[in-house]
Amino acid sequence: MTDAAATTQNVGGARSLLYHVILCGVSLVMLYPLLWMLASSFKPDDEIFGNASLWPDSFTLDAYIRGWSGLTVSFGTFFWNSLVIAVLSVIGNVISCSLAAYAFARLKFPLKNFWFALMLGTLMLPYHVTLIPQYVLFLNLDWVNTFLPLVVPKFLAADAFFIFLLYQFFRGIPRELDEAAIIDGAGPWRIFWSVMLPLSVPALATAAIFTFIWTWDDFFGPLIYLNDASQYTVQLGLRTFVDSTGKSDWSALFAMSVVALIPVLLFFGVFQRLLIEGIATTGLKG
Amino acid sequence: MTTTAQIPLTISEPEKRSKRRGGWSRTLVSYSFLAPWLIGFLGLTLGPTLASLYLSFTNFDLLQDPQFIGLANYQRIVTNDVKFWHSMQVTFTYVILAVPLKLAFALGLAMVLNRGIAGLPLYRALFYLPSLLGASVAIAVLWRQLFAKDGLANVALGFFGIQGPSWISDPNYSLYTLVLLSVWQFGSPMIIFLAGLRQIPPDVYEAANIDGANKVQQFFKITLPLLTPVVFFNGIVQTIDAFKAFTPAFIISEGTGGPIDSTLFYTLYLYQEGFAYFRMGYASALAWILLIIIACFTAFSFLTSRYWVHYND
Repeated sequence: MTDAAATTQNVGGARSLLYHVILCGVSLVMLYPLLWMLASSFKPDDEIFGNASLWPDSFTLDAYIRGWSGLTVSFGTFFWNSLVIAVLSVIGNVISCSLAAYAFARLKFPLKNFWFALMLGTLMLPYHVTLIPQYVLFLNLDWVNTFLPLVVPKFLAADAFFIFLLYQFFRGIPRELDEAAIIDGAGPWRIFWSVMLPLSVPALATAAIFTFIWTWDDFFGPLIYLNDASQYTVQLGLRTFVDSTGKSDWSALFAMSVVALIPVLLFFGVFQRLLIEGIATTGLKG
Repeated sequence: MTTTAQIPLTISEPEKRSKRRGGWSRTLVSYSFLAPWLIGFLGLTLGPTLASLYLSFTNFDLLQDPQFIGLANYQRIVTNDVKFWHSMQVTFTYVILAVPLKLAFALGLAMVLNRGIAGLPLYRALFYLPSLLGASVAIAVLWRQLFAKDGLANVALGFFGIQGPSWISDPNYSLYTLVLLSVWQFGSPMIIFLAGLRQIPPDVYEAANIDGANKVQQFFKITLPLLTPVVFFNGIVQTIDAFKAFTPAFIISEGTGGPIDSTLFYTLYLYQEGFAYFRMGYASALAWILLIIIACFTAFSFLTSRYWVHYND
């Protein structure tokens, strides 16, 4: 804000009012669809279409009750499945990525540059390339239709992006702190645990929150690996809902879409600042 | 926890011991940190990448062992696969329209927000929200509804007396609704642009003002050149992302890429070949072509970047 303050001085009140009008207009156009979906989820079906109003004439929670009970499996099951997968993924990513990032940022070992270059290379690799052999691998391990193919890779630091994020952060921590710890007789594990991790809470939290949101929203992974409706995640549940209800039960579909967005919206509400700083400094795509 | 302290104590003096801590045990400790990634890299990335390359030269349907057929998959893709060329065309149209539009919006709004007006954090958060939600099925569901015949988009157009088409089910328009969805998510490049704009020292503009440069000149002579590294970064990230787009097209077309393949993104075609028809060798070849396209694009961007990206050092 301070940099821009200089330019602001000659921007008069009228000018600034104009900017606010533009920004409010853009915000409204952007958010209207979301608000409309929220409003529609409280409307009876016949009121949804051809109606742009945000206020339901007759307010009803019916759609939520109908939607939650689901088609064959309750949405509660989908919700629980998503939650289990997302929480395990967060734990896996935070542990495995921070370990690798620490090794790359602070330790010396043979072949380090070689592995580091390969790690960076995986950032560019589209997942489609590894998709089919991975599928064959998990099929042979008998892991298809379990959560394992979705969760185990996270414990093996498969999201190299977070290694890179944490690597950058660890590198910024003053080396004097390690050196002091070494003089006190601490080894790498102790330094990692007692020096690096406590100082890296913002970066770890960014990685954790993005892992949660991306896993929660992931559609492709569950689409490929989960076949049984009782294993479905929220995203898959929503998709079956689209395909089978067709045009009949839009309000229930909207209601469950709102439900599917709630965890992400909650995280966004609480950690908005952290997420935005994470993007600005690391270029996470979001 | 105390791995290093347990090193054999054959040398009596502590100083020597600490020097000797290097070597094998130190390597071992380092590799114990690296182990999860290393196992994952070898087992889930490097191994599968090589396997995928091999499979791309085979006929493989999961049930029987892969049969080596040389370049036949690639040959068929290039010479005898209408859907491949069609999905390429769809994907390139999408990339060429969505990425520049998205970046233009992102930069435009970043510049408006960089005016230091009140409420910046609020606007920034509001504009960013769709980027965060964009990948989810719920948003694709919403989009499908917005652009249905009696959807919100047409209701809005109705206010201006325009009778809109049924966007999603009209092959002339369906792809553009997906482009619009991508543009709607301009928030994350916007935040990166905003961070870049903050780096430009205000005295550069003051000097330009004194020299009598107008706003347009200032934009093209100062803002844009100084921002080229950020444009470069955002351009690469967004383009690679756009090549990989999948979920919205899948949900909106119910997995078909329709109507009449108008939203058959490359990744959707790859998915169909691999997981609907179980032609896994063929799908592997498609994946390698995607990799080659992305690699060529990235290499090309880096090679040309020296002519237009200005680093301030």
